[in-house]
Amino acid sequence: MLWLWIVGGVVVVLGVVFVLGYNRLVRLRNEVDTGWANIDVQLQRRSDLIPNLVEAVRGYAAHERAVFDEVTKARAALQHAAGPGAAADANEGLTVALGRLFAVAEAYPDLKASENFLQLQNDLTDTEDKISAARRYYNSTVMHFNTAIQSIPWVLVAKPLGFRDREFFSAAGDTELPQVSFSQAT
Amino acid sequence: MTLQQQIRSNRFRSGIVVLGFALLLLVLAGLIGLVLDVSLAIIVLAIAAAYGLFGLLSSRSMIAGMTGAQPLGPEDLKPLRRLVDNVSIGAGLPVTPELRIVDDPAPNAFAAGLRTTKSYVGVTTGLLQAMPKRELEAVIAHEISHIRNRDTYLMTMAVVFAGVIALIADIGFRSIAYGGRSRKAGGLIVVLAVVGFILAPFAALLLRMSLSRRREYLADAGAAEILSDPEAMALALRRLELDPTTIRYGNTSTAHMWVESPTDRVDSMRNGVLELSSWFNTHPPVRARIAALEDAGGFRLPDRLPADTPFAAELGLDA
Repeated sequence: MLWLWIVGGVVVVLGVVFVLGYNRLVRLRNEVDTGWANIDVQLQRRSDLIPNLVEAVRGYAAHERAVFDEVTKARAALQHAAGPGAAADANEGLTVALGRLFAVAEAYPDLKASENFLQLQNDLTDTEDKISAARRYYNSTVMHFNTAIQSIPWVLVAKPLGFRDREFFSAAGDTELPQVSFSQAT
Repeated sequence: MTLQQQIRSNRFRSGIVVLGFALLLLVLAGLIGLVLDVSLAIIVLAIAAAYGLFGLLSSRSMIAGMTGAQPLGPEDLKPLRRLVDNVSIGAGLPVTPELRIVDDPAPNAFAAGLRTTKSYVGVTTGLLQAMPKRELEAVIAHEISHIRNRDTYLMTMAVVFAGVIALIADIGFRSIAYGGRSRKAGGLIVVLAVVGFILAPFAALLLRMSLSRRREYLADAGAAEILSDPEAMALALRRLELDPTTIRYGNTSTAHMWVESPTDRVDSMRNGVLELSSWFNTHPPVRARIAALEDAGGFRLPDRLPADTPFAAELGLDA
């Protein structure tokens, strides 16, 4: 009789531990998803600004076709990027292409002074700030989630339960650390 | 300690303090039931619950009234609102808190609201005049992590709890002092009850203040994490510490909300031990807060603050 109670007690405790731990993993995974949605919204906003920007510059510098093509391609790449890593790469590519576009714009004082262009430039800077804020949050959620499913005992059951490591939003060759958390992600 | 560890240990201690409040309430109700009357204990608890509920529900408008925080029009201070927006995205808040301005030359900020989605951040005009963008961002991140950590909720609860406990203790004390005949028990237990009724409000205040101090460390750590920049928070604290002006609206019931305490006079740590006189402070000493950030971030603040243009210039406000 006593043995039955002990075994029963152990089973109940294990069950409770499992349920609590599982729910924690689900919560962490949902946080990662929300974090990604935040970035996605801002990336979308950024690529929505591009056509207007290209048109604005084209109005003053129609012959700079190579630059427009490059920006348009980079934008398409961003829209079709699958997964955080690829999206970060494409976003980086767009930044480089936009850098060229703004370098071209430098040569046209009328363009630089135009209300429309200034507004677009302003919106773009704001979106870039928001992307980097959203990225900090997303990367910290990824770090928490990955650490959780790589720790004992969850490392043993995470895969069968459908929990996979998530990708950081960081471009290849990105030297900046995913986030300053002062503790190592294992 | 790393930031994550700090956050975890802060959560744990906050939990203990809340438990302390609940215990204190139970002990008081138990004393009344034991010494006086069980039905009186129930009535008192009901009054306390009603009082507490009213306090919670009216806290939002009460805080706005007491601090004089003004809501902004849709076109006002766009760069500042953009900044708040970005910080709250970095914190992963679902909704950006509303921004309110307190017209006061002392640099300070606070957060209020019971729910994350219905909260607001108040900043003084003095803060905008004093802080460069990087430090202002840190102060706002501090307030936003108060909202994210549900501190605004917890602290409102703590204030209400402390009030309720004072109320119950008062009722209990008066019933014993003036209602001699309705007493059930006598002797030692009455003496114990009287001592309990006198000490309980102090214990509640002590708990409330220690809870408040915990939450400050937690919000500092949170701000550093949101911005990935612990130095910015430390710089902002140093700047606040050096500023001699204190807030006009500072009173003891709202003191816990501000980023820098408007009421604490004693700010001393000797040999690493908090002195007795600072046990009733709402905020930990600024030095200790800066030291915690320095430990977590692995840096040392320079002796002199960098001279930067205040954010007010970017907003087009006159100094």
